[in-house]
Amino acid sequence: MKIKLIIGLFLFVCLAQIITPLSMIANRELVLKRGTQYKFKVAPVDPYDAFRGRYVALRFEEDYCLYTNRDKLNSGQQVYALINVDERGFAKFSGLAMNRPEKGPYIKTRLNYISGDKAYLDIPIDRYYMEEGAAPRAEKIYQQHSRGGKEDAYAIIRIKDGLAVIESLYVAGDKIEDLVKKE
Amino acid sequence: MNKVFLRWLYQELPGLVEKDVLSQEAADKIRQFYGEVKNPGRMNVGLVIFGTIGAFLIGLGIILLFAHNWDQLPRLSRAVLSLSPLIIGQILALWVLLKKPQSGALKESTATFLSLAVGAAIALISQTYNIHGDAATFILTWMLLILPLVYIMQASLPAVIYLIGITAWAGSNWDSPARAVIFWPLAAIIVPHLIWALRQEIYALRAAIVSLVMAVCVLFAASFSLGRNWPGLWVVIFPSIFAVIYFTGNWKFNQITTNWQKPLRFIGGMGLFVLVFQFTFKYCWQYLGSYSYGINRDISFIGLLADYIITLAIIATAVLLFYDNLKRKNNLVAFFGAAPLLAIVAYFLNMQSTFLPLLIFNLYLFVLSLSRIVAGFRLNNQSLLNTGMLMLSVLIIARFFDSDISFIIKGLVFIIVGIGFLMANLVYTRRLGGVK
Repeated sequence: MKIKLIIGLFLFVCLAQIITPLSMIANRELVLKRGTQYKFKVAPVDPYDAFRGRYVALRFEEDYCLYTNRDKLNSGQQVYALINVDERGFAKFSGLAMNRPEKGPYIKTRLNYISGDKAYLDIPIDRYYMEEGAAPRAEKIYQQHSRGGKEDAYAIIRIKDGLAVIESLYVAGDKIEDLVKKE
Repeated sequence: MNKVFLRWLYQELPGLVEKDVLSQEAADKIRQFYGEVKNPGRMNVGLVIFGTIGAFLIGLGIILLFAHNWDQLPRLSRAVLSLSPLIIGQILALWVLLKKPQSGALKESTATFLSLAVGAAIALISQTYNIHGDAATFILTWMLLILPLVYIMQASLPAVIYLIGITAWAGSNWDSPARAVIFWPLAAIIVPHLIWALRQEIYALRAAIVSLVMAVCVLFAASFSLGRNWPGLWVVIFPSIFAVIYFTGNWKFNQITTNWQKPLRFIGGMGLFVLVFQFTFKYCWQYLGSYSYGINRDISFIGLLADYIITLAIIATAVLLFYDNLKRKNNLVAFFGAAPLLAIVAYFLNMQSTFLPLLIFNLYLFVLSLSRIVAGFRLNNQSLLNTGMLMLSVLIIARFFDSDISFIIKGLVFIIVGIGFLMANLVYTRRLGGVK
């Protein structure tokens, strides 16, 4: 009897242990399959320290939106960042909502801080993992482009129901993985 | 009675009967009185350690093999492969539960392997999908998923991983006190396991490791989560925690053991001494408020309420344990654990002047070390004598360095303290000789 109870509990725990990572996979796969694609301009966090071992640290070039409403917001508070696309095809944050918007693209995120009329956001996309061997070569490419003033890097991000997943990273119009292969 | 002693006693009995020290009847009566040496799934410590290290290396090897050709694999395959160490760990643990439930070593090592595999799976999937690096959420999810293994598999290493994990989580939440205090209920979940481990075999490595980690984690977590809005209250909180640890370490087992086997008594005692010694310095009381780690951000009332309740509960526990020891005439132990009470008095007196707290703690440390020296002589306990001497000399030397006394006199004090040490030990040894 006791052993049956223990085994039952153990199987239940196993299930929870499997479901947690599986739900992480399922949520992201769903966004990558069904989500809408957006191009976000990214800036290197520090061109000489962008590659930290296995990933590129990313920062959105515009990680803020205008916030003129004088309601008090706390740092770390959950917000919904609304998105619109400019004439060149790049996505930008256009405003904040406290409650889940009924339509239109948005990202569920947290407020970093407010400075003047700008609300800076803690964007849930801050890294792009790459193969360890490719990292040093990718770093060189990244630096060459930023030195020439051609900081034309952007990330393709898929968004569905507020969840954003990075799909790929482009430097000078090419996928970073392809550039590394060419090198 | 401790099994190690009992086993030794039973080994000796036949020889004693043979040499006519004991009658066969008396020997039988001794056996009857103490009963059989029970061996409920006794663990071989070496087997556990090497088993766990082995299991862990295998797990790492599997992950490395996959990671080698990682980028050639499509994303979904990578994600599913990340789960394989987890599934292997679960199958191994299930097999042990079904086929070898008696083996403590196997349960311990498979539960540890599974605990690490859960973390590896979540980390690898976060990497595959470039998930935002929120370390706190990752750690908490991981810890909650391995917590049941501690009880289901009666395994202590997962408990150790869990305690370290929730402490790290509390640390990364240090700036939001309402969240950091959740450490305390989370840590309380491990207490039944700790008691079970202590009951199982008080002197075993298992109990020593769990209680050691528990003590250290509680101390770290206290600095992250308690007394946040009460500047300078650390002078009461930390002596209280150390006193609780010290009293618990002295609880119920009075047999002579080494410090390694009684980590709680050792950590508690050392912590109390170091704190009390610090409290004998002026700077400590002068700048009490500025040592506070409070934060200036708006803190919600609920967050502070939990902080207040837990802080007061810890102080109350220390005071109650003090009275308990006093009542049971454990005067020596009680006196050592009186520091939190004095700290409370000193904390309030400090608002008027820094002189009184200084006086209280200098006097306290002086009397405390004298009482140990006297008790050491009376009970013929050399380690008690020497810790008393050590504490007294540290106090004297510190006070002489504080004051503007010439080097010659300082040197003389050193010589006198040294002679005192030698004399006390000499007198003690002579007396022992006299006793013989």
